[in-house]
Amino acid sequence: MIRLSMLQLRVQAITAAVALIAFAVLLAATGPHLASLYAASGLRGCQPASCGQRANIFLQQVDSTGPYAAVYPLSIILIALTPAVTGLFWGAPLLARELETGTFALAWSQSVTRARWLAVKLTVGGLAAMAVTGALSLLFAWWAAPLGRAAGLGGSGNSLAMNQFNPLAFATHGITPLGYAAFAFTLGVTAGALIRRTVPAMAVTLAIFAALQIAMPLWIRPNLFPASHTTVAITSDTTLNLFTTDSPHTFTFTLATDGLAGQPGAWIRSSGAADAAGHPVSTVVPSACSPAASSSGPGPALANCLTSRGIRIAVTYQPASRYWPLQWTETGIYLVLSLALAGYCFRRLSRLS
Amino acid sequence: MVEFQLDETSGVATYLQLVQQVHQALRMGMLEPGDRLPTAQQVVAQLAINPNTVHKAYRELEREGLVRARPGLGTFVTRAPSGPDPATQARFLAAMTDWLRSARAADLGPDDIEAIYRTASRTCFAEGVA
Amino acid sequence: MNAAIQASGLGKQYRRAWALRDCTLAIPEGQVAGLVGPNGAGKTTLLRLAAGMLTPTRGTITVLGQRPAAGPAQLARVGFVAQDTPVYSRMTVADHLRLGAWLNPGWDDHLARQRISQLALNPKQRAGSLSGGQRAQLALTLALAKRPGLLILDEPVASLDPLARREFLQGLMEAVAGQRLSVLLSSHLVADLERVCDYLIVLIASRVRVAGEVSDLLASHHRLSGPRRDPGTLPAGQEIITERHTDKQSNLLVRTDGPVLDPAWAVKPVSLEDLVLAYMSRAGNDRPASPQQLKAVS
Repeated sequence: MIRLSMLQLRVQAITAAVALIAFAVLLAATGPHLASLYAASGLRGCQPASCGQRANIFLQQVDSTGPYAAVYPLSIILIALTPAVTGLFWGAPLLARELETGTFALAWSQSVTRARWLAVKLTVGGLAAMAVTGALSLLFAWWAAPLGRAAGLGGSGNSLAMNQFNPLAFATHGITPLGYAAFAFTLGVTAGALIRRTVPAMAVTLAIFAALQIAMPLWIRPNLFPASHTTVAITSDTTLNLFTTDSPHTFTFTLATDGLAGQPGAWIRSSGAADAAGHPVSTVVPSACSPAASSSGPGPALANCLTSRGIRIAVTYQPASRYWPLQWTETGIYLVLSLALAGYCFRRLSRLS
Repeated sequence: MVEFQLDETSGVATYLQLVQQVHQALRMGMLEPGDRLPTAQQVVAQLAINPNTVHKAYRELEREGLVRARPGLGTFVTRAPSGPDPATQARFLAAMTDWLRSARAADLGPDDIEAIYRTASRTCFAEGVA
Repeated sequence: MNAAIQASGLGKQYRRAWALRDCTLAIPEGQVAGLVGPNGAGKTTLLRLAAGMLTPTRGTITVLGQRPAAGPAQLARVGFVAQDTPVYSRMTVADHLRLGAWLNPGWDDHLARQRISQLALNPKQRAGSLSGGQRAQLALTLALAKRPGLLILDEPVASLDPLARREFLQGLMEAVAGQRLSVLLSSHLVADLERVCDYLIVLIASRVRVAGEVSDLLASHHRLSGPRRDPGTLPAGQEIITERHTDKQSNLLVRTDGPVLDPAWAVKPVSLEDLVLAYMSRAGNDRPASPQQLKAVS
């Protein structure tokens, strides 16, 4: 039965192998040079004071020379799409095509029970889908390691140095791609079992998978762990915006930050103007600070004036240390969903013909 | 080896047709004692009929004493049916052939010949019954 | 004799309609049984229940003494060829033989290869590009090479040309003669069934109308024709299947266990096709009597 599952996945396996080899060749051609750029940047063993500066220089260099600026997003997109592709083209046809063409009658009249037939096909296909996605993300992790280290050392402001909690980064690094692959695959199989036609099953799989992939970073992931709160002073890294209102001499302001001193790599959930205790305050510029606001715009003078009035910035965030717990939890959720869907497929198996 | 044929329109049961064809082959000397009849598998592979039909026919022939089944070896002819020997058969076959030739030379068609045969046949066998 | 298939009150319901109802059968082992009836009568449903593809809504069915598809051992004893003989169109003929070898412990590879070469099938050819007759022969080979005790076929020759049909039946009968094999096949071509079947089941409108050995059925059904007669005057034990009357003549098709002794009747034998057609037309006339008809009889 294992050999039969592999025989039936022959074409898909060859396609995946070709894609993997092409990807590996691309990364192998560009990876070593990237590593040597990193070695020359002096970031290894750099003094904490100079690290940020060196990191920014390194990232600028990588962004402007060679193909790295193209390979990076290409890889991200490939790894992000692969679970959907395997779910659609490996998972959806598994049951749907057999039901559509009538070949299930041939398969189920051999000397294996339906349950064993489905169990082996699910396992072989699911593990293969996870292996393909895993291989792609592993290759990419090796290639992009220097970039990740540079970002960790304080490099920022560059599309090559995404915060590890950035939705695209989170979905294509670590172990979450494995969970997505398993889920998309079993989702495809389940859709095929219910809809019994390959193409509609593929469409439904894509729709539901896409919906969950949007809902997860927007609404689910942020609430998996309780957030931390802190209040910090307004600094030069704080984003201060000023707005005019209908009344003359009255302005409103907003405060935001995308980093937290002492918490490198943290996931900033939200930030805003607050008092020392962390309670939100009015965003109308106090009249005492109006002259500073009107004359120089949102500048250091205004910032000092606000600070002297006791206005600080409250930040809601997840510390960087939450990265792996979030990865494990999210992957766990997808794996549990996959098992639940697989279980449902078995229950439906006896009613299928 | 004798090859069977099936006439689906005759209304005669299939197994009886096989029995009759064996009788005919024995009479015409195409089958002789010691010859092996085709296996059921060979017959059905050619005629696409149920093997049990062939078994039924061979059992009937065995009941008539014409054949004997030897397990593992096949079904063999044991004796010819009682009736005229091949020499007599050959003599009448020759006479019949001559008669038919002269009938055709006199412009008698197959229907005429058949009508003549049936009339004569009825008369002749009726005499025997009385 | 053991029963190859035994059903008792078997029924299958889909939503509101009954595809098969009150089916009680005992098909003997070692025979070729034919299942005949119009389209939509429930033939496919009965065959799928026997093959374990469906589970009954009501009643029971046992195949070779066990519940269908009860486990791998039971699955190995029953071969099934579904309607339109499905095959994996992207797999080659050789791939299909591998499938059979991998999934069936009782697989007879020698028999499979012998049949394939006898049929002049190219092992490297994709099954999707085979002709209808070749596909049917491939499906039959797969079913036979697992050495089942019972082979179930759902209209295997329905979409084949006459030559392919004849070749398929030749191959099937050859296998029946060579192995100890029971067969249940359905067809709406009675002529084919007459050649190959020992046992016949007539299924019309989801019910079994008549079932029995072909020789018994042909011996117990007769055509009676004679002067116009009221059917009520026939002796008990003679069941009228169909009747047609003109003002001077009556033509009946009857089922009877004993001989027809009444000298007024001319008795003629019935072909299997006529028998099936008679039951089909009787089932078509099965409508509840109107009040006028009931009043006339009483």
